[in-house]
Amino acid sequence: MKKIILPFIALALPVALNAATGATELEGGFKIGPAIILITILCAFVMVGIIFRAKDTTDFYAAGRSISRTGSGMAIASNWMSAASFLGMAALMYGSGYHGLAYVVGWTGGYVLLLILMAGQIRKYGKYTAADFIGDRFYSQSLRATGAIIAILISISYCVGQFAGIGLMFQWILGINFTWSVIIGGTVVLTYTLISGMLGVTKNMQIQYIIIIVSFLIPLFILTYKFDYFWILPQIGYGSVVSDITYGIAQSDISSLVNSFGHDFAITASPEYSMPWDIATGKTFFQWMAIAFSLMIGTAGLPHVIQRFYVVPKASDARWSVVWGLFFICLLYWSAPVYSAFGKILSANPEVGKLSKDAIVVYTAQLGNVHPLIVGLLAAGGVSAAFSTVSGLLVAGASAFSHDLYVKVINPEASPSRQLRMARLGTVLMAIIVTMIAMLKLALISQLVAVAFSLAGCTIFPLFLLGIWWSGSNREGAIAGLIMGGFVSLLSITYFVAGKMGVVLPFSEFMNYYLGAWYFAWIGAPLAILTNIIVSKLTPETPIEIRKFLIEQVHS
Amino acid sequence: MNQKNDYHISFFKPTTERAKTNRNMVLWLISIWAVAVFGFHFLLRAIEKPTPEPELIAFNQVWENVKSGNASNDEVMKFAQSALHVTGKIFIDADSKKALDNGISWALMQLADSAQKIAVNTAVVDFEKVIASKTSITNADYISAKKNLIGISQNIIGLSPNSVLASILPFELHAAYFDVFTSENQTIVEACMPKYMTHNRSVLTDTKFLGFPFHYFYSAVFLLILFIALCYAYCVLTDRYNKRMDIVE
Repeated sequence: MKKIILPFIALALPVALNAATGATELEGGFKIGPAIILITILCAFVMVGIIFRAKDTTDFYAAGRSISRTGSGMAIASNWMSAASFLGMAALMYGSGYHGLAYVVGWTGGYVLLLILMAGQIRKYGKYTAADFIGDRFYSQSLRATGAIIAILISISYCVGQFAGIGLMFQWILGINFTWSVIIGGTVVLTYTLISGMLGVTKNMQIQYIIIIVSFLIPLFILTYKFDYFWILPQIGYGSVVSDITYGIAQSDISSLVNSFGHDFAITASPEYSMPWDIATGKTFFQWMAIAFSLMIGTAGLPHVIQRFYVVPKASDARWSVVWGLFFICLLYWSAPVYSAFGKILSANPEVGKLSKDAIVVYTAQLGNVHPLIVGLLAAGGVSAAFSTVSGLLVAGASAFSHDLYVKVINPEASPSRQLRMARLGTVLMAIIVTMIAMLKLALISQLVAVAFSLAGCTIFPLFLLGIWWSGSNREGAIAGLIMGGFVSLLSITYFVAGKMGVVLPFSEFMNYYLGAWYFAWIGAPLAILTNIIVSKLTPETPIEIRKFLIEQVHS
Repeated sequence: MNQKNDYHISFFKPTTERAKTNRNMVLWLISIWAVAVFGFHFLLRAIEKPTPEPELIAFNQVWENVKSGNASNDEVMKFAQSALHVTGKIFIDADSKKALDNGISWALMQLADSAQKIAVNTAVVDFEKVIASKTSITNADYISAKKNLIGISQNIIGLSPNSVLASILPFELHAAYFDVFTSENQTIVEACMPKYMTHNRSVLTDTKFLGFPFHYFYSAVFLLILFIALCYAYCVLTDRYNKRMDIVE
């Protein structure tokens, strides 16, 4: 692999260095330096995908169950660190201050639940996909099919935010319109996923993690050093930036520090940035708590995250891979608020104009006069983040389509080659649907992704939680719980979509506030769990063979 | 299992020593997790007090007179400065900004003498023209028009030279707003000033830790460290227990 990639990089790098000066505009224009970096990275991904491509269905779904703890941790982190993490979190904090930290806390705190309640047990259960688990545990083909459809819906919902992020970065680099950016970016990520499958994806994810984290951290050191903050550890050093925004920076104090437009590094006192649920941001205490809670339980119910535990050899590896994964994820999550804080000061002057929030990470580096080549690497890192997640999601969706729907329900006699063809067909169909929805620009990247979390929290999470920890949860309870979770999800998403289309439904203000599309799981998940328990208690108990399996295999 | 034939699993009713140990460990870790995340924020909510910024207090002192048209020059100046303070903030909606711009432009004209009025009017009209045609903020005409407008208006409104407020002043002045501070915009200003200048503060937000407001550090840095520590502790304890009991998974 090195023999192929290194000469390519050696050839491309000098060209990129010479061409890098193209990256100085905030909007519009083709930026050749970043474009070359992006193409180089994408070619490397595809080559790695080819070298480690799936040879059979076991490889495609679960990477041959041969990934180490740290390798799997890196893959979890890379899979997790999507456009929502790389671009979206800073955007949320840039747009709504302390409220954005609900996403940081929610997206990391969920791993504690995932680890202590599920990771080891999921691996011991020994299935390929989330729908596999649901179908087997609740001894129902229709639940398996429903689980597969939900997994596909979650993957689509999650992918929409990623495609929006890919589109945004392609737009910034190539200087073309958003629609074409989404189409081009979507085509590239689809090609790559089709070539590689999960084995290639898992190997790639480890490489992608390195690219993502390096590209994200370098500008932070430069920004903190340049603007005279504690640069040795920017994740701590930016604390003074937050305080400076809160209490203001007088122009006379820092007249020598300027942004790329020549504006002083000055700002009027803006406590609304750091104070909790500030009225100025339009966000409330309830929303902060509901978002954090929904994202946490959503994390423990996402099919593509759960699926990562099937690729490690043992249950203890599954547990340790969560610890490693969370650590790798936190490296980025500690850093994202730094971009929003610097972005706030550097764009405070009215002359900077209104910036796209979702691209604020890249704009902050540009406004901070970071070298264009490094800004290009940062943008390429953003694309990598989206790529790594999308490929995992497409594999999870394709697995649900081929393995859970086609093989287990429609055609159990299908040959392995036909299964693989169906998986690839599922991938293409999903990519087309996602591209079309992403073009609508329904919300911020992180908000679009948060919908997937709430959906997972209301549907998959209760089934896994009760399925693993209570043998009394039976098929009827699972169906009832799923109906309840699905109903709450449908209600919330209907109000959200209606609102976007300008249709005012009855009680829309109440529903949009208490059942917001980004956090409806706060009530949907507890209701689904409660329904599952009540109905299970009232109906025939789980068959002995399932209970025996739970005791002897899962909790042994 | 004490009663193998039952084959019942319940998290809250463990039947083996190992399950009991695991349940206790999980309950401890989840309790720490829940108190750290949600407990802290309930506490933050419980002890917070809506606290006005000094500029809001100044605004409240002069607003009634400004509204009724009985304000002295000093009061109009205070009003303009507090309104300008809000326009320099990082979160402000378009309607509020428009209303505040009306108030600032009108106040400037109230404070200016007749010669200054002419000069300000000319400078604003020039600046608006240049803005409409500018392609870059490095354009010489644009820079000169902006500097000219700042130079003329900052003293009238009582701003110190080279202050942040002076640098944003040109963007808040509009010739169309000079004559009248409309009652509609007065209503918006009255509503938006407390909205943008009242904040939920407490000892947890006002204490600094490593440069951060403490609550911000807690959520953005500490909680993430805690999550990793909880996960690490669970893995170590589980592995240790399995080793002690000779359990091979």
